Amino acid sequence: MSLGAYLVRRLLQIIPLLIGLTILTFVISRVIPGDPVGLAAGPQATPEIKEALRHEFGLDQPLPVQYINYMRDLLQGDWGESLYSRRAVADDLRAYFPATLELTLVAVFIAALLGVPAGILSAYYRNRAPDHMSRVAALFFVSFPAFWLAMIFQTVFGLHLGWFPIGKRFDVRLPPPVTITGLYLVDSLLTGDFESFRIALSHIAMPALVLSFASLASITRITRASMLDVMGKDFVRTARAKGLPRRTLLVSHVLRNTTTAVLTIIALEFGWLMAGAVLVETIFDWPGLGLYAVESSLRLDFQPIMGITILYGIVFSLVNVATDVAYGLLDPRIRYG
Amino acid sequence: MAKQIRQPNEIELDNKHHGRRENIRRGVIRFRSNPLSVIGLGALLILVIIAIIAPYVVPFPEDAAGNMRALERLQPPGAPYYFGTDHVGRDIFSRVLMGTALALKVGAVIIFLAAAIGVTVGAVAGYFGGWVDDLLMRITDIFLTVPALMLAIAVTAALGKGITNVMIGISLVWWPGFARLTRSLVLTIREEAYVEAARSVGAGPARILLRHIFPNTLSPIVVKMSTDYGFAILTAAALGFIGLGAQPPTPEWGAMINDGRNYFPEDWWVATFPGMAIFIMVFSWNLLGDGIRDLLDPRSDR
Repeated sequence: MSLGAYLVRRLLQIIPLLIGLTILTFVISRVIPGDPVGLAAGPQATPEIKEALRHEFGLDQPLPVQYINYMRDLLQGDWGESLYSRRAVADDLRAYFPATLELTLVAVFIAALLGVPAGILSAYYRNRAPDHMSRVAALFFVSFPAFWLAMIFQTVFGLHLGWFPIGKRFDVRLPPPVTITGLYLVDSLLTGDFESFRIALSHIAMPALVLSFASLASITRITRASMLDVMGKDFVRTARAKGLPRRTLLVSHVLRNTTTAVLTIIALEFGWLMAGAVLVETIFDWPGLGLYAVESSLRLDFQPIMGITILYGIVFSLVNVATDVAYGLLDPRIRYG
Repeated sequence: MAKQIRQPNEIELDNKHHGRRENIRRGVIRFRSNPLSVIGLGALLILVIIAIIAPYVVPFPEDAAGNMRALERLQPPGAPYYFGTDHVGRDIFSRVLMGTALALKVGAVIIFLAAAIGVTVGAVAGYFGGWVDDLLMRITDIFLTVPALMLAIAVTAALGKGITNVMIGISLVWWPGFARLTRSLVLTIREEAYVEAARSVGAGPARILLRHIFPNTLSPIVVKMSTDYGFAILTAAALGFIGLGAQPPTPEWGAMINDGRNYFPEDWWVATFPGMAIFIMVFSWNLLGDGIRDLLDPRSDR
């Protein structure tokens, strides 16, 4: 099967999953025991006001009708509006998503940068001191509650040492980079604005580092395990027997064959970190989906919650497809099908 | 000397028991050879002891149940408040220790509920195959489309605030991992000769699943339960921190960090000690889980 046909088929497979996801989130958000309308209307609201609000949002209609209406609007790009702020969910998602995406991407990058070498080191010095140390380190960092570590880092490295800004995406006194992709680091580089790049980098460094800790353990472990797996293979023994230099052996025989496993775990961790960003964002006042998700869920504002969940589902599914496509590009033995 | 001649089945029985004891003995030796998992187990035993005796030994047990001292608010660490006091004057030392039992319980409930749902779904899907498998696995896939934490927030918010709903909410998003694992195990085991034998003597699906398949899926499931336990506690603490979890005055560590957030960093002790407690608890579980993985999971290469 050609790459194009494979891609189309995989993308089509996402559709039933996403429909299932909309049903799931719809059921979750409509069968709630709480009183979202009451919360949104305020404590003084009379039953008439609540009824009017319920009618306005179509909540007085039968559930299947509500679902069909929701899906019809969704397909036209209308993600509903917040019960609370009355803002369109689609606008909010568009405003907040790039910040979360950028934070997650940088965090995954850091996690891979630290985790993959740690895993390689671990496998290379199997059952010796460096192996034990990198395993303990990985388990150590992953055990911190991210929101708590974020507070500690903010205080130590931001407030006391002054190495990094304590929050926000950019210096509030300056105009942010021209929006092209919405990712400040990318936009500032595209426009050649290196000062903005530096400022954006200093703002993202701490939240991204804290967030990356959550993925260190699994990336290290999978890298180590797949390295050991490959190192036990016949072709590695043959290569060693014919006197191949250790470096060549490690890079072109062993590492080359661990890429798919490592790539899988990194892609999987991307989803975890994007959810974990919710917690880190609230501490660093990062204007992403996190704060929005937390506030909406506390207010039972279900339109934004549904929107965020569906958006996460779309992104996560696309990352999975991209990973599978990357397999084939990295490993010619894998055929799309 | 007919007495000394043993019946063949007697010898076999003896060997079987001997073999099992030998396996356990080897397992213990292997476990002990990994100092990290021994440390993890030791730390957890201490935490369990703390959880049991906390109500009787902490200086201010009433502080975990709504007692307040407005005049003693935000006292820095020092006698009689070893970890200081919070914004309503409660002893943080007492509350952190009293919260140990809750954290252990929350983790246990989540993991056992998630495993119960996941193992059932996975076993049924794997054993029956066909459209049952397709349907159950598609449902599992839907849950796996969204990161667990995000879905847990949505479900718990919908169910309503409170520690019980946190446990239910997290379990409801945690089971798909167990379902996938169990299904893959059942798919291989159901082809084994002894399952075929059981089926040929007329054992029904329920008996085969429970008596013949389930016991042989146990090791990997126990591994997953032990490695997930710490993360379940971490997730529950995160929901507590957001404000969806235990409501005051319950001494839940995540909620305590949320309390301390507004007084950080000037009154650092309010948030710092509950956070360290979470770390110690989760780190202990992760060390132990790592050791159990080496012990029971044949795929992990040591």
